[in-house]
Amino acid sequence: MTGRGEATTGPLAVGQFVSMIKRTLSHEPMFQRQSIKGEVSQWKSYPSGHTYFTLRDDDGQLSAVIWKGRCTIHPSIKEGTEVVVTASLDVYVKRGNIQLIVERIEPVNTLGAMEEAKRMLIERLRHEGELDRVRMLPPFVPKHIAIVTGAGSAALADMHRLIDNRWPGMRRTVIGVLVQGERAPEQIVRALALTRRMAQPETAERRSEPPVDLVIVGRGGGSPEDLWAFNLEPVVRAILASPVPVVSAVGHESDLLVSDLVADIRASTPSNAIERCIPVRAELEQWMDELDHRLEHAARRTFGDARQRLVSLHARLKVAPLAGINAAKRTLLAQQSSLNRATEQRFSHERTRLAGLEAALQAIHPRRVLERGYAMTQTEDGTVITRAGSLEVGQTFNLHFVDGTAEAAVTDIHTKEE
Amino acid sequence: MTENKTTYNEAALRLEAIVAALERGGLGLDETLKLYEEGALLLKTCQAELIAAEGRLNELRLEDLEHDLQTQEAESNE
Repeated sequence: MTGRGEATTGPLAVGQFVSMIKRTLSHEPMFQRQSIKGEVSQWKSYPSGHTYFTLRDDDGQLSAVIWKGRCTIHPSIKEGTEVVVTASLDVYVKRGNIQLIVERIEPVNTLGAMEEAKRMLIERLRHEGELDRVRMLPPFVPKHIAIVTGAGSAALADMHRLIDNRWPGMRRTVIGVLVQGERAPEQIVRALALTRRMAQPETAERRSEPPVDLVIVGRGGGSPEDLWAFNLEPVVRAILASPVPVVSAVGHESDLLVSDLVADIRASTPSNAIERCIPVRAELEQWMDELDHRLEHAARRTFGDARQRLVSLHARLKVAPLAGINAAKRTLLAQQSSLNRATEQRFSHERTRLAGLEAALQAIHPRRVLERGYAMTQTEDGTVITRAGSLEVGQTFNLHFVDGTAEAAVTDIHTKEE
Repeated sequence: MTENKTTYNEAALRLEAIVAALERGGLGLDETLKLYEEGALLLKTCQAELIAAEGRLNELRLEDLEHDLQTQEAESNE
């Protein structure tokens, strides 16, 4: 093994070499925060507060150390106890030993008992109907959010950042609690009791703030044991007792927590809780502005239309009488002209007819007969003489020719024998 | 204050319905005026709700808040 960037000439100092081992191991994820099961032996606590032991089974063993205050040690752990540790591999350079640095240690039987208690609690809640209860909806716009989580935690910082992005200055009360370890369940329960009180109008009035109308209880992700408080009955009952909606906001991927099963809203992380419960103020304002505009516009249009109709009616009313007279005049004129037309037609027809008659008359005029050599006889009093028998000898009468008249006298009369 | 829980949303949805009705038109003037006035009031309610969500950010230790509440309760009982 040749260290990159290490001394390349001559032999390596052993301390340097062990340091290289330490560095390599600490960069190997498989050896970091690994969950390992084994039996405790050579358990020894020192006055310094550190605890040393060997984790072993029939096939192997490894030294282990629990630094002072690094994790809670269950009182039942002693020589021979089966435990599960979460630990990282490290090298003690001075002695060239590899050892486990333990971050968590739980007796196996305790873990099993915890799982069993969780299972029984879920069963009990199911039986009581709590798992099927009707969930409360979060308020559309929360007026006062209570957040129960680790004081100064990254989860809290994330929530603050997200809330202020979505709704700058939204009212919230953070109740800082321990979210893991032995005291966590009790603190969460106490905090939830406070949120219940702050949800009461009388309490809120005394504090001059709106009542709490949404509770977010949660923390960032961690190992199942870290999150265990959210599987405990007192915490679960405190969630169920809330008069306002509660969001279970514990960061975890798999394995539902009992708090998720009973809460009104189940969020996958604290940030997710904010995204699901806090609307974006700018969007709502935009919606309101749009409704404002549309309301004004629609109402104005309706009234505008009505006014327009009125104006036009008024205008028509003003000219209506004149229009009536004009219309009558127009009708009269039209009638007159059609009467004229009809009369004219009639005259022209008669004229044509008269011309025809005149022509026919011309054809049979006596003059035409006279022109052909006939003469017309008339007595002196103008009676037309048509018969010889009506005359007397010596009687004078007039003969009409085409060009004049002659006076004649009857000298003899011969009538035809009939 | 559970009765106020959905005020904003209900008001906003009613407002939306009123605006839609006015936009469709065909209403009498009386009705238009009535709806308009209701809409304007709803708008004000909604805008007030938005402002009501603003407030202080309190970060309190569990014990301090317990103490506060206890004291306030005791004072108001006197």
